[in-house]
Amino acid sequence: MIWTKALLIGAVVLLLAYLFSSRRNAQSRAWVKVGYVFFVVGAIYAILRPNDTTVVAHWLGIGRGADLLLYALVIAFLFTTISAYMRFKDLELRYAQLARAVALEGARVPEDDTRQV
Amino acid sequence: MSLYRDVWIVIPAYNEASVIADVVADVRAVFPNVVCVDDGGRDDTGDRAFAAGAHVVRHPVNLGQGAAIQTGIEYARARPGAQFFATFDADGQHQVKDVVRMLDRLQSEDLDIVIGTRFADRPPDRMPMLKRLLLPIVAKLSRSSRQLHLTDAHNGLRVFNKTVADALNLTMNGMSHASEFVSLIVENHWRIAEQPVQILYTDYSMSKGQPLVNGVNIIVDGLLRGRLRR
Repeated sequence: MIWTKALLIGAVVLLLAYLFSSRRNAQSRAWVKVGYVFFVVGAIYAILRPNDTTVVAHWLGIGRGADLLLYALVIAFLFTTISAYMRFKDLELRYAQLARAVALEGARVPEDDTRQV
Repeated sequence: MSLYRDVWIVIPAYNEASVIADVVADVRAVFPNVVCVDDGGRDDTGDRAFAAGAHVVRHPVNLGQGAAIQTGIEYARARPGAQFFATFDADGQHQVKDVVRMLDRLQSEDLDIVIGTRFADRPPDRMPMLKRLLLPIVAKLSRSSRQLHLTDAHNGLRVFNKTVADALNLTMNGMSHASEFVSLIVENHWRIAEQPVQILYTDYSMSKGQPLVNGVNIIVDGLLRGRLRR
Protein backbone atom coordinates (compact mmCIF):
# COMPACT_ATOMS: atom_id res chain seq x y z
CA MET A 1 0.00 0.00 0.00
CA ILE A 2 2.81 2.40 0.90
CA TRP A 3 4.61 1.79 -2.39
CA THR A 4 1.40 2.54 -4.33
CA LYS A 5 1.20 5.92 -2.67
CA ALA A 6 4.85 6.56 -3.43
CA LEU A 7 4.15 5.56 -7.04
CA LEU A 8 1.23 7.99 -7.32
CA ILE A 9 3.11 10.88 -5.74
CA GLY A 10 6.08 10.10 -7.96
CA ALA A 11 3.81 10.23 -11.02
CA VAL A 12 2.51 13.67 -10.04
CA VAL A 13 6.01 15.02 -9.41
CA LEU A 14 7.31 13.58 -12.69
CA LEU A 15 4.42 15.14 -14.56
CA LEU A 16 5.16 18.54 -13.02
CA ALA A 17 8.84 18.24 -13.84
CA TYR A 18 8.01 17.29 -17.41
CA LEU A 19 5.62 20.21 -17.83
CA PHE A 20 8.01 22.77 -16.41
CA SER A 21 11.03 21.54 -18.30
CA SER A 22 9.57 21.05 -21.75
CA ARG A 23 8.92 23.87 -24.11
CA ARG A 24 5.48 23.91 -25.60
CA ASN A 25 6.56 22.59 -28.96
CA ALA A 26 4.64 20.56 -31.50
CA GLN A 27 6.04 17.28 -30.18
CA SER A 28 4.84 17.72 -26.62
CA ARG A 29 1.46 18.89 -27.88
CA ALA A 30 1.25 15.67 -29.92
CA TRP A 31 1.95 13.57 -26.80
CA VAL A 32 -0.81 15.42 -24.96
CA LYS A 33 -3.22 14.36 -27.70
CA VAL A 34 -2.05 10.74 -27.54
CA GLY A 35 -2.55 10.83 -23.77
CA TYR A 36 -6.01 12.25 -24.27
CA VAL A 37 -6.98 9.40 -26.60
CA PHE A 38 -5.85 6.85 -23.99
CA PHE A 39 -7.82 8.75 -21.38
CA VAL A 40 -11.01 8.63 -23.45
CA VAL A 41 -10.61 4.93 -24.33
CA GLY A 42 -9.97 4.15 -20.67
CA ALA A 43 -13.01 6.18 -19.62
CA ILE A 44 -15.32 4.31 -22.03
CA TYR A 45 -13.96 0.97 -20.86
CA ALA A 46 -14.51 1.95 -17.21
CA ILE A 47 -18.10 2.88 -17.97
CA LEU A 48 -18.80 -0.40 -19.76
CA ARG A 49 -17.08 -2.64 -17.20
CA PRO A 50 -16.81 -0.76 -13.90
CA ASN A 51 -15.82 -3.91 -11.98
CA ASP A 52 -12.65 -4.27 -14.05
CA THR A 53 -11.30 -1.07 -12.53
CA THR A 54 -11.41 -2.74 -9.14
CA VAL A 55 -9.34 -5.61 -10.52
CA VAL A 56 -6.72 -3.17 -11.81
CA ALA A 57 -6.88 -1.32 -8.49
CA HIS A 58 -6.14 -4.56 -6.64
CA TRP A 59 -3.07 -5.13 -8.81
CA LEU A 60 -1.82 -1.76 -7.64
CA GLY A 61 -2.73 -2.36 -4.00
CA ILE A 62 -5.65 0.07 -3.97
CA GLY A 63 -8.93 -1.09 -2.36
CA ARG A 64 -11.55 0.08 -4.81
CA GLY A 65 -11.72 0.93 -8.50
CA ALA A 66 -13.44 4.20 -7.64
CA ASP A 67 -10.35 5.27 -5.67
CA LEU A 68 -8.13 4.43 -8.62
CA LEU A 69 -10.31 6.58 -10.89
CA LEU A 70 -10.16 9.41 -8.39
CA TYR A 71 -6.36 9.33 -8.30
CA ALA A 72 -6.20 9.25 -12.08
CA LEU A 73 -8.59 12.20 -12.27
CA VAL A 74 -6.56 14.26 -9.83
CA ILE A 75 -3.43 13.71 -11.90
CA ALA A 76 -5.26 14.53 -15.13
CA PHE A 77 -6.68 17.68 -13.55
CA LEU A 78 -3.24 18.86 -12.39
CA PHE A 79 -1.85 18.20 -15.83
CA THR A 80 -4.48 20.24 -17.65
CA THR A 81 -4.40 23.13 -15.14
CA ILE A 82 -0.68 23.57 -15.38
CA SER A 83 -0.49 23.22 -19.14
CA ALA A 84 -3.32 25.74 -19.52
CA TYR A 85 -1.46 28.15 -17.22
CA MET A 86 1.75 27.82 -19.22
CA ARG A 87 -0.14 28.38 -22.44
CA PHE A 88 -1.81 31.49 -21.12
CA LYS A 89 1.53 32.92 -20.03
CA ASP A 90 2.90 32.26 -23.49
CA LEU A 91 -0.08 33.96 -25.14
CA GLU A 92 0.16 36.89 -22.74
CA LEU A 93 3.72 37.49 -23.86
CA ARG A 94 2.79 37.53 -27.56
CA TYR A 95 -0.19 39.75 -26.82
CA ALA A 96 2.16 42.21 -25.08
CA GLN A 97 4.47 42.18 -28.10
CA LEU A 98 1.54 42.93 -30.39
CA ALA A 99 0.27 45.76 -28.19
CA ARG A 100 3.82 47.16 -27.96
CA ALA A 101 4.15 47.22 -31.75
CA VAL A 102 0.85 49.10 -32.00
CA ALA A 103 1.93 51.54 -29.27
CA LEU A 104 5.28 52.28 -30.92
CA GLU A 105 3.57 52.90 -34.28
CA GLY A 106 1.40 55.59 -32.74
CA ALA A 107 4.05 57.39 -30.68
CA ARG A 108 3.46 61.11 -30.18
CA VAL A 109 6.56 63.28 -30.44
CA PRO A 110 6.51 66.78 -28.90
CA GLU A 111 6.94 69.56 -31.48
CA ASP A 112 10.09 71.11 -30.05
CA ASP A 113 11.79 67.74 -30.35
CA THR A 114 11.27 67.32 -34.08
CA ARG A 115 13.17 70.54 -34.70
CA GLN A 116 16.24 69.49 -32.73
CA VAL A 117 17.14 66.31 -34.57
CA MET B 1 19.88 72.04 -20.40
CA SER B 2 21.62 70.44 -23.34
CA LEU B 3 23.94 68.70 -20.88
CA TYR B 4 21.72 65.62 -20.78
CA ARG B 5 20.77 65.42 -24.46
CA ASP B 6 21.83 61.75 -24.59
CA VAL B 7 19.75 60.71 -21.56
CA TRP B 8 16.24 59.28 -21.79
CA ILE B 9 13.91 59.02 -18.81
CA VAL B 10 11.27 56.29 -19.11
CA ILE B 11 8.12 56.82 -17.04
CA PRO B 12 5.54 53.99 -17.05
CA ALA B 13 2.17 55.39 -16.00
CA TYR B 14 -1.22 53.86 -15.37
CA ASN B 15 -4.08 56.20 -14.41
CA GLU B 16 -1.78 58.85 -12.98
CA ALA B 17 -3.50 61.92 -14.49
CA SER B 18 -3.53 63.84 -11.20
CA VAL B 19 0.26 63.84 -10.79
CA ILE B 20 1.83 63.02 -14.18
CA ALA B 21 2.12 66.63 -15.42
CA ASP B 22 4.07 67.70 -12.33
CA VAL B 23 6.32 64.66 -12.45
CA VAL B 24 7.11 65.16 -16.16
CA ALA B 25 7.72 68.90 -15.68
CA ASP B 26 10.01 68.14 -12.72
CA VAL B 27 12.07 65.68 -14.73
CA ARG B 28 12.14 67.92 -17.79
CA ALA B 29 13.64 70.76 -15.77
CA VAL B 30 16.86 68.72 -15.85
CA PHE B 31 16.44 66.04 -18.51
CA PRO B 32 14.95 67.18 -21.84
CA ASN B 33 14.14 63.70 -23.13
CA VAL B 34 11.22 62.00 -21.39
CA VAL B 35 9.07 59.17 -22.72
CA CYS B 36 5.87 58.45 -20.84
CA VAL B 37 4.25 55.08 -21.50
CA ASP B 38 0.51 55.33 -20.89
CA ASP B 39 -0.35 51.74 -19.99
CA GLY B 40 -3.84 51.74 -21.45
CA GLY B 41 -5.37 53.74 -18.62
CA ARG B 42 -8.88 55.15 -18.57
CA ASP B 43 -7.96 58.75 -17.76
CA ASP B 44 -6.03 61.38 -19.76
CA THR B 45 -2.58 60.54 -18.37
CA GLY B 46 -1.12 60.45 -21.89
CA ASP B 47 -2.53 63.83 -22.93
CA ARG B 48 -1.28 65.52 -19.77
CA ALA B 49 2.19 64.03 -20.12
CA PHE B 50 2.27 65.16 -23.75
CA ALA B 51 1.21 68.69 -22.77
CA ALA B 52 4.03 68.70 -20.22
CA GLY B 53 6.51 67.98 -23.02
CA ALA B 54 6.98 64.21 -22.86
CA HIS B 55 7.01 61.80 -25.76
CA VAL B 56 3.96 59.62 -25.30
CA VAL B 57 3.51 55.98 -26.27
CA ARG B 58 0.15 54.47 -25.45
CA HIS B 59 -0.61 50.78 -24.98
CA PRO B 60 -3.98 50.05 -26.61
CA VAL B 61 -4.76 47.76 -23.63
CA ASN B 62 -3.46 47.58 -20.09
CA LEU B 63 -0.45 45.26 -19.90
CA GLY B 64 1.32 46.00 -16.62
CA GLN B 65 4.36 47.90 -15.45
CA GLY B 66 6.99 45.48 -16.76
CA ALA B 67 5.55 45.66 -20.27
CA ALA B 68 5.34 49.45 -20.06
CA ILE B 69 9.01 49.73 -19.10
CA GLN B 70 10.00 47.44 -21.97
CA THR B 71 7.96 49.55 -24.41
CA GLY B 72 9.52 52.77 -23.11
CA ILE B 73 13.04 51.38 -23.42
CA GLU B 74 12.38 50.09 -26.94
CA TYR B 75 11.16 53.55 -27.91
CA ALA B 76 14.04 55.39 -26.25
CA ARG B 77 16.84 53.15 -27.51
CA ALA B 78 15.68 53.72 -31.10
CA ARG B 79 15.96 57.51 -30.75
CA PRO B 80 19.06 59.02 -32.38
CA GLY B 81 21.83 59.85 -29.91
CA ALA B 82 20.35 57.98 -26.95
CA GLN B 83 23.15 56.69 -24.70
CA PHE B 84 21.78 56.57 -21.15
CA PHE B 85 18.42 55.49 -19.79
CA ALA B 86 16.55 55.70 -16.51
CA THR B 87 13.31 54.15 -15.26
CA PHE B 88 11.33 56.52 -13.07
CA ASP B 89 8.00 56.10 -11.26
CA ALA B 90 5.04 58.20 -12.32
CA ASP B 91 3.62 58.68 -8.84
CA GLY B 92 6.23 61.21 -7.72
CA GLN B 93 8.07 59.05 -5.20
CA HIS B 94 11.41 59.25 -7.00
CA GLN B 95 13.63 62.31 -7.09
CA VAL B 96 15.39 63.85 -10.05
CA LYS B 97 18.50 64.68 -8.02
CA ASP B 98 18.95 60.96 -7.32
CA VAL B 99 18.93 60.27 -11.06
CA VAL B 100 21.61 62.92 -11.57
CA ARG B 101 23.80 61.29 -8.89
CA MET B 102 23.27 57.81 -10.29
CA LEU B 103 24.14 59.03 -13.77
CA ASP B 104 27.36 60.64 -12.51
CA ARG B 105 28.29 57.41 -10.86
CA LEU B 106 27.48 55.32 -13.94
CA GLN B 107 29.85 57.45 -16.00
CA SER B 108 32.66 57.98 -13.47
CA GLU B 109 32.89 54.38 -12.23
CA ASP B 110 32.51 52.70 -15.61
CA LEU B 111 29.37 50.74 -14.70
CA ASP B 112 26.60 49.33 -16.86
CA ILE B 113 23.76 49.91 -14.43
CA VAL B 114 23.08 51.68 -11.14
CA ILE B 115 20.06 50.62 -9.07
CA GLY B 116 18.51 52.64 -6.27
CA THR B 117 18.28 51.22 -2.78
CA ARG B 118 16.08 52.29 0.09
CA PHE B 119 18.05 50.40 2.71
CA ALA B 120 21.56 51.82 2.45
CA ASP B 121 21.65 53.26 5.95
CA ARG B 122 18.18 53.23 7.48
CA PRO B 123 14.70 52.53 6.14
CA PRO B 124 12.95 55.60 4.77
CA ASP B 125 10.49 57.56 6.87
CA ARG B 126 6.87 56.57 6.45
CA MET B 127 7.71 53.24 4.84
CA PRO B 128 4.98 50.82 5.90
CA MET B 129 6.15 48.55 8.75
CA LEU B 130 5.62 45.24 6.93
CA LYS B 131 7.53 46.42 3.88
CA ARG B 132 10.34 47.60 6.10
CA LEU B 133 10.65 44.07 7.50
CA LEU B 134 10.01 42.03 4.37
CA LEU B 135 11.81 43.77 1.51
CA PRO B 136 15.35 43.16 2.87
CA ILE B 137 14.41 39.51 3.49
CA VAL B 138 13.17 39.16 -0.08
CA ALA B 139 16.46 40.63 -1.31
CA LYS B 140 18.32 37.99 0.70
CA LEU B 141 16.10 35.14 -0.52
CA SER B 142 16.54 35.71 -4.22
CA ARG B 143 19.57 33.89 -5.54
CA SER B 144 20.45 36.50 -8.15
CA SER B 145 20.17 39.47 -5.81
CA ARG B 146 22.38 37.61 -3.30
CA GLN B 147 25.01 37.09 -5.97
CA LEU B 148 25.02 40.82 -6.62
CA HIS B 149 24.85 41.75 -2.90
CA LEU B 150 21.73 43.80 -3.45
CA THR B 151 19.95 45.21 -0.43
CA ASP B 152 16.72 46.23 -2.15
CA ALA B 153 14.88 43.72 -4.29
CA HIS B 154 12.29 45.95 -5.88
CA ASN B 155 13.46 49.47 -6.44
CA GLY B 156 11.96 51.13 -9.51
CA LEU B 157 14.74 53.69 -9.91
CA ARG B 158 17.44 52.44 -12.30
CA VAL B 159 19.96 54.18 -14.53
CA PHE B 160 21.78 52.25 -17.24
CA ASN B 161 23.73 52.54 -20.48
CA LYS B 162 22.98 51.47 -24.03
CA THR B 163 24.53 48.01 -23.58
CA VAL B 164 21.82 47.20 -21.06
CA ALA B 165 19.04 48.93 -22.99
CA ASP B 166 19.85 47.11 -26.22
CA ALA B 167 19.87 43.70 -24.55
CA LEU B 168 16.86 44.31 -22.33
CA ASN B 169 13.94 41.99 -23.01
CA LEU B 170 11.49 41.92 -20.10
CA THR B 171 8.92 39.18 -20.50
CA MET B 172 7.18 39.56 -17.16
CA ASN B 173 4.43 42.04 -17.90
CA GLY B 174 3.33 42.64 -14.34
CA MET B 175 5.24 43.49 -11.18
CA SER B 176 7.65 40.54 -11.48
CA HIS B 177 9.83 42.49 -13.90
CA ALA B 178 11.98 43.82 -11.02
CA SER B 179 13.29 40.34 -10.18
CA GLU B 180 13.55 39.56 -13.87
CA PHE B 181 15.70 42.66 -14.29
CA VAL B 182 18.04 41.43 -11.55
CA SER B 183 18.28 37.98 -13.16
CA LEU B 184 19.15 39.61 -16.48
CA ILE B 185 21.95 41.55 -14.78
CA VAL B 186 23.41 38.29 -13.47
CA GLU B 187 23.04 36.41 -16.76
CA ASN B 188 24.63 39.18 -18.83
CA HIS B 189 27.39 40.00 -16.32
CA TRP B 190 26.55 43.67 -16.34
CA ARG B 191 28.63 45.79 -13.96
CA ILE B 192 26.29 47.04 -11.28
CA ALA B 193 26.30 49.31 -8.24
CA GLU B 194 23.65 50.33 -5.73
CA GLN B 195 23.00 53.94 -4.94
CA PRO B 196 21.13 55.09 -1.81
CA VAL B 197 18.05 57.02 -2.89
CA GLN B 198 15.33 58.81 -1.07
CA ILE B 199 11.80 57.60 -1.69
CA LEU B 200 8.95 59.92 -0.80
CA TYR B 201 6.11 57.85 0.59
CA THR B 202 3.28 60.28 0.02
CA ASP B 203 -0.32 59.38 0.75
CA TYR B 204 -0.85 59.26 -3.00
CA SER B 205 2.00 56.86 -3.72
CA MET B 206 1.02 54.64 -0.81
CA SER B 207 -2.54 54.41 -2.07
CA LYS B 208 -1.16 53.16 -5.39
CA GLY B 209 1.36 50.78 -3.85
CA GLN B 210 1.42 47.02 -4.12
CA PRO B 211 -0.32 44.82 -1.57
CA LEU B 212 2.25 42.43 -0.12
CA VAL B 213 0.21 39.37 -1.14
CA ASN B 214 1.25 40.17 -4.71
CA GLY B 215 4.66 38.89 -3.69
CA VAL B 216 3.28 35.38 -4.24
CA ASN B 217 2.81 36.20 -7.93
CA ILE B 218 6.38 37.40 -8.12
CA ILE B 219 7.71 34.16 -6.61
CA VAL B 220 5.70 31.93 -8.98
CA ASP B 221 6.72 34.01 -12.00
CA GLY B 222 10.32 33.70 -10.89
CA LEU B 223 10.05 29.91 -10.88
CA LEU B 224 8.46 29.85 -14.31
CA ARG B 225 10.86 32.29 -15.87
CA GLY B 226 12.99 30.83 -18.62
CA ARG B 227 10.61 27.93 -19.16
CA LEU B 228 8.60 29.98 -21.57
CA ARG B 229 9.31 30.70 -25.17
CA ARG B 230 10.81 34.13 -25.75
